[in-house]
Amino acid sequence: MRLIILGGVAAGTKAAARARREYPDAEVMILTQDDYVAYAGCGLPYYVGGIISEAQELIVRTPDEFKHENGIDVRTRCQATAIDPSAREVRARDLDTGIEQTYGYDKLILATGALPVLPAIDGIHLKRVATVRGLTDAKKIRVLVDSGKLRHAVVVGGGFIGLEMAENLAHRGLQVSVVEMRDAILPGFDPEIAALAKKALEEHGVGIYTGETVQRVLGNASGEATGVVTTERTLDADLVILSAGIKPNTAIAAAAGVETDARGMILVDEYLRTNLPDIFAVGDCASVRHQMTDLDVYSPMGSTANKTGRLVVANLIEPRETFAGVLGTTIVRLFDVSAARTGLSEEEARAAGHDVETVLVPTPDRAHYYPGNKPIITKLIADRATHRILGAQVFGEGVVDKPIDTLAMGIALGMTAEQLSGMDLAYTPPFASALNSSIVAANVLLNKLDGKLRGVSPCALELDNPNQQLLDVRTEPEYLIAAIPNSINIPLPELRERIDELDPEKSTVVVCKVGRRAYGAALLLRRLGFRDVKILDGGMTAWPYETV
Amino acid sequence: MAEYRINARGLQCPGPIMQLFTQMKSAEPGDLVMIEVTDVGFKKDIEAWCRKTKNTLVSLIENDGVITAQVRKG
Repeated sequence: MRLIILGGVAAGTKAAARARREYPDAEVMILTQDDYVAYAGCGLPYYVGGIISEAQELIVRTPDEFKHENGIDVRTRCQATAIDPSAREVRARDLDTGIEQTYGYDKLILATGALPVLPAIDGIHLKRVATVRGLTDAKKIRVLVDSGKLRHAVVVGGGFIGLEMAENLAHRGLQVSVVEMRDAILPGFDPEIAALAKKALEEHGVGIYTGETVQRVLGNASGEATGVVTTERTLDADLVILSAGIKPNTAIAAAAGVETDARGMILVDEYLRTNLPDIFAVGDCASVRHQMTDLDVYSPMGSTANKTGRLVVANLIEPRETFAGVLGTTIVRLFDVSAARTGLSEEEARAAGHDVETVLVPTPDRAHYYPGNKPIITKLIADRATHRILGAQVFGEGVVDKPIDTLAMGIALGMTAEQLSGMDLAYTPPFASALNSSIVAANVLLNKLDGKLRGVSPCALELDNPNQQLLDVRTEPEYLIAAIPNSINIPLPELRERIDELDPEKSTVVVCKVGRRAYGAALLLRRLGFRDVKILDGGMTAWPYETV
Repeated sequence: MAEYRINARGLQCPGPIMQLFTQMKSAEPGDLVMIEVTDVGFKKDIEAWCRKTKNTLVSLIENDGVITAQVRKG
């Protein structure tokens, strides 16, 4: 058997290495236009930031190691130009010599990855304008940053790579701005979490400009970038990072008749087979099934690339292993906060037709009295009818990877709010609270599902509604430190005696620091006949906007 | 001038800031209050509180997860 793999980063090399083990007699060949294979693409921002000191630390295996230790024929700087499925041949051009050659295959795995989406604007070909797709890109940026001459950077695109680049460039002493055309950064996260991430980045001096489109890159006489013009402003930029999304790199596959969707991703079945015989697709060029919606989605993640690259090898001769699909689990660290998500976002859940209930619950990440505990905020998204947890997002300075992985596991297995509430999770003060953060969130969710409590998202709170009163039940010193504009402060212990200061006919939103005191106040107000009482989800802790 | 020490470790909101508030009310101008807290949110709170109440934040350190603030009245 001759196996050809197009692409040699994560999915391609994973497939090659396993194919070598599973089919010792097969000929395995990797063709890639890149200079490198088997490098940790997700580590590129940290290499620019200097946390990874040298590029070689990101290279898992060199082409020579593959050849000599694994017997895999790796051709770098070798660009596939055409696939002929009927003849079972790939044509490829050597980028150094320009010579084209034809390679016959019995099985073909497409692991061609993705390409950056370049905005169609003037100036993107100037010097010091860069994308961050490969090691070659990152090395170029690192050299520029190491020169010590850069002062301002503009990152176009507020997705994970863009924000990680922003953080790393800020660590290197640059003044960084992020321009995002959508209304929020962190795609896939709900607005409450995205707004908190924005606030955290701004507190670290990173300018975040959402709802603005980059119109052109300005340059000097030497052809170097000097600034970026957006729809709202002009920003200084000695370095412009283009990270406004990626698209599947599938032009030659599509030209050969491999089925792709409108955005270009190769459609594969659960065995990772394309529509054409003996052609498979894995990693950032291929679709994956979403476990919650059963739809084919584009989820270009390193974790998925490694899994599918490994799994596809089992199916080369006959279909044997199926890929379970993805939940959309992702995580990102931004300075001293992290954001993680899994399952459906609130928006995705509504789009999928669910009647949705959500909670936003701040807790410490371990026992509140144990030194070193840090705050996290858990958002749960559930179906009102079945109580099934559809999605979760966790944000904060504390540990978020543990809860998100626990929640991902439960969500994948169809867990309800009741089941989460009763989950037997590891507890001792250095690691968790006696009531684990996810369990507290489940309990708040159950209170909402039972109708004991109604909430309003900080992103949906109206500050100038004359028919609404915003009641802050924290103590005076807390209120003095920071409060939402136009709120009334009546500390919870005084609420009963000062009830005349409030209008029971108005809708009332109660706020405290995390929600516990607000819940108590809301129960009291309802007993006292207040018509419409809600609490502010997440309290002041999750309030991402201006305070007075 | 008197010095006071508050152990507010283990207290969550509003415990630490309320204990400080109460102690500062009974203190004389120039008195020094030291408070130890394990609630990390306290770091931001104490800075804002001192600014708004015109008390002086003499020091604010975090060591092994314990935040220690020294506040001088006035």
